[in-house]
Amino acid sequence: MDVFGSFALLLAFVCAVYAFVGGIAAIRTRHPLLVKSTRQAGLATCGLIFLATLSLEYLFFSDNFSVAYVVAHSNRSLSPFYKVAALWSGQEGSLLFWSFLLAVYVFSALLAYRNKNGELMPYVGVVLAGVQIFFLTLNNFVASPFKALGVAGTNGAMDLVARGDGNGLNPLLQYPEMVIHPPNLYSGYTGFTIPFAFALGALLARYPGEKWIHLTRKWTMIAWGFQTAGILLGAHWAYAVLGWGGYWAWDPVENASLLPWLTGTAFLHSVMMQEKRGMMKVWNVWLVFCTFLLCILGTFLTRSGVVSSVHAFASSNIGNWFVGFIAIILLVCLTAYFKNRDYLKSENQLDSIVSRESSFLFNNLILLVSCVAVLSGTLFPVFSEWFTGDRISVGTPFFNKVNIPIGLLLLFLTGVGPLLAWRKTSLDSLKRNFGWPLLMGLVAGAIAFPLGVREFYSLICLILCVFVASTITMEFYRGAKVIRSRSGASFLASAVDLTMRNTRRYGGYIVHMGMVLIFIGIAGTAFNRDVQKEMQIGSSMQIGPYSLLLQNFDTKQEKNYTAERMIIEVTRNNKPVMMLYPERRIFPANQASGTMVAIYSTLKQDLYVVYAGQSPDTQAPVIHVYLNPLVKCIWFGGVVVVLGTLVALLPNRRAVLVLSAVQEPTGVKSLAGTLTPSPTLREGHD
Amino acid sequence: MIKRRIIFLTTVLCAAGSLPLLVSPLPAQQPSDRAHQIGGKFMCMCGCNQVLSQCNHVGCTVSTSMLKEVDQALARGDSEDAITQAFVQEFGTKVYAEPPHSGFSLVAWSMPAVYLAVGLGLVLFVISRWRKRPAQAVSVAANNSGISPEMLERGRLRAARETQD
Repeated sequence: MDVFGSFALLLAFVCAVYAFVGGIAAIRTRHPLLVKSTRQAGLATCGLIFLATLSLEYLFFSDNFSVAYVVAHSNRSLSPFYKVAALWSGQEGSLLFWSFLLAVYVFSALLAYRNKNGELMPYVGVVLAGVQIFFLTLNNFVASPFKALGVAGTNGAMDLVARGDGNGLNPLLQYPEMVIHPPNLYSGYTGFTIPFAFALGALLARYPGEKWIHLTRKWTMIAWGFQTAGILLGAHWAYAVLGWGGYWAWDPVENASLLPWLTGTAFLHSVMMQEKRGMMKVWNVWLVFCTFLLCILGTFLTRSGVVSSVHAFASSNIGNWFVGFIAIILLVCLTAYFKNRDYLKSENQLDSIVSRESSFLFNNLILLVSCVAVLSGTLFPVFSEWFTGDRISVGTPFFNKVNIPIGLLLLFLTGVGPLLAWRKTSLDSLKRNFGWPLLMGLVAGAIAFPLGVREFYSLICLILCVFVASTITMEFYRGAKVIRSRSGASFLASAVDLTMRNTRRYGGYIVHMGMVLIFIGIAGTAFNRDVQKEMQIGSSMQIGPYSLLLQNFDTKQEKNYTAERMIIEVTRNNKPVMMLYPERRIFPANQASGTMVAIYSTLKQDLYVVYAGQSPDTQAPVIHVYLNPLVKCIWFGGVVVVLGTLVALLPNRRAVLVLSAVQEPTGVKSLAGTLTPSPTLREGHD
Repeated sequence: MIKRRIIFLTTVLCAAGSLPLLVSPLPAQQPSDRAHQIGGKFMCMCGCNQVLSQCNHVGCTVSTSMLKEVDQALARGDSEDAITQAFVQEFGTKVYAEPPHSGFSLVAWSMPAVYLAVGLGLVLFVISRWRKRPAQAVSVAANNSGISPEMLERGRLRAARETQD
């Protein structure tokens, strides 16, 4: 099966090269047969990548320990659930998984537009094939997952061998979220290839308008939704598995996932400027280019070893390939832009500085500043080493200091932007739209301050969250009120109707509401506290309102690991709350160990208990307990963001013909009775 | 109408008021011991890329010994600066959790402000250009670039035709 997989990958590479070269020829000659055959080659590439991926999964499930990648990332006792995840747990497999997800997107795009967009698709196909060629080159010639296991023989040649069992999967990855977090994140990364290909294709085809944006809006939102879900799932995994009490450590790999998300978010906002006003065309094209380049840069950072990270793959010379690819992409984008930039001229002027257009500009500015600040902070250790010879670390404190004010500014714009009118906002409109939300924000701050919320950023964050939530609530309230007055339906039904009439706008508001919840959760971090204690059986510790009693500890034997388990009773005001079982797991296959945190989570706070191992001096178990307020808001906010994205992806409810009684003109007899359909268009608006 | 507004306002205010209540029972950050606090300024050198006081690897001997070093230095009466110097000598500048506010590291601290200033300048420049531009500027600009509005419109129609859904 490993030979079959290798062959499928090689054939996929050949097909991708044909799709690329043939595609260029098809653009030049416009020969219909050539156009068709290159599209078929593109589809075949995808099919072959699916087969190669299936082959690797088959090797995992059949415990084929003659393949080096299977030996390194699986073992016989690994559960089938994690054998699926083993596919992306190492360098080679994750690159194949990248190709696989890219193939899913490419296949869908080629199939969806097979009979449409005849002039544009060959350009798009060439760009997509170009990207696929790069990853297939890595899969075939640089980091093949199908390499046979070999040992140096007596004559210096490699002898093929097969092992009885494998090394097993990294313990940190043996957690349910690791089965869904990487696919989500990778789907985000790879998904941005589609808008990139359409943007570059449209520029190369010299399309002046917004067509590529209309065609790729949903693809961009899907990629963005996956990226968001991937980032949040990663944060939850870090929280539940790594056991340091937090969810975001500004690790280079985490930052790498945030960078394209920031530019992608900027793009989703600024794109409305082009659709509505024909402005920011150059900016939008470059935002998509940058988002794609940042996806590749993020992959480079993760895999090259250029920055140290606990999540990074083993360092190798694969980074050079990524640098080369980034350089080529940048060169192609620059060439296409300078050659055809005349087609990207703005078509309107700005009527007022107090307008939706300005708010989008500032929104983009803040997102981009945040992106560049995170990028430069991530790369600063490398720069400092180049310039001074000393590698200076940039950790969490730096990123927090820089990004918290930026985040708050962005939160403020989240509230302001949607309430400003296109072109110009009058003073009356400003008062009407912002009066109540501003008052509510200030009242919330005034209540919170005497109650103990004194930390500056948390207080500002709370005020802004209430302000933004109020603006969104008012938007729904106003719209639903109008519908209710006409239809007589309930308020909730009217709100749903309102949302379905303009899913993009109101889905966007739901996303904003989710972001508000996430910010509330982040604001709670200022009130985190923790206690660490060596405990004997029967001893207890106190944190906040909770008392923790170490009742006992035992050893649990599972198929793939042995766990040392603490049995802790949690009480509150002498009333039992629940039992918690923090663990330390030891995996015999690779002699690695890991923690399994126990969490008692409520809406108000998380009681987060870690068994940190035995004290080297007394051999007593060391228990580290954290009390983290409002963490649940983050996960709930994440769900709301994804839900809002799904709503925004739905098509608007179709225009409805409303039947209304009309006066018959005198002397005219209606054949259908007294009711005549009056076509009243009920459509949403932006 | 007024009654509804009052009910709405009361509901929102109650919701707003309940948020700080969720947080308020917790006092401000509890005082941690000095070593733990100083440990927040260094990275753990075990390669986990975590701040020293947060490193929780099971059996991580590096963070334990580093924190012990801090404790011993404090017991000797060493100042925070002296502890920092000792760590930098032992591990190099990569031990800092954040770049120091001196020398080349100032670049790291100043860059975000520079980005913001440059970006703000750029946005204001773009806004002023857009505001100054008369309505017919597009056609003039297009003419200068060799693409007339008619060509642009033709291109748009072509795009619409070729990409009809």
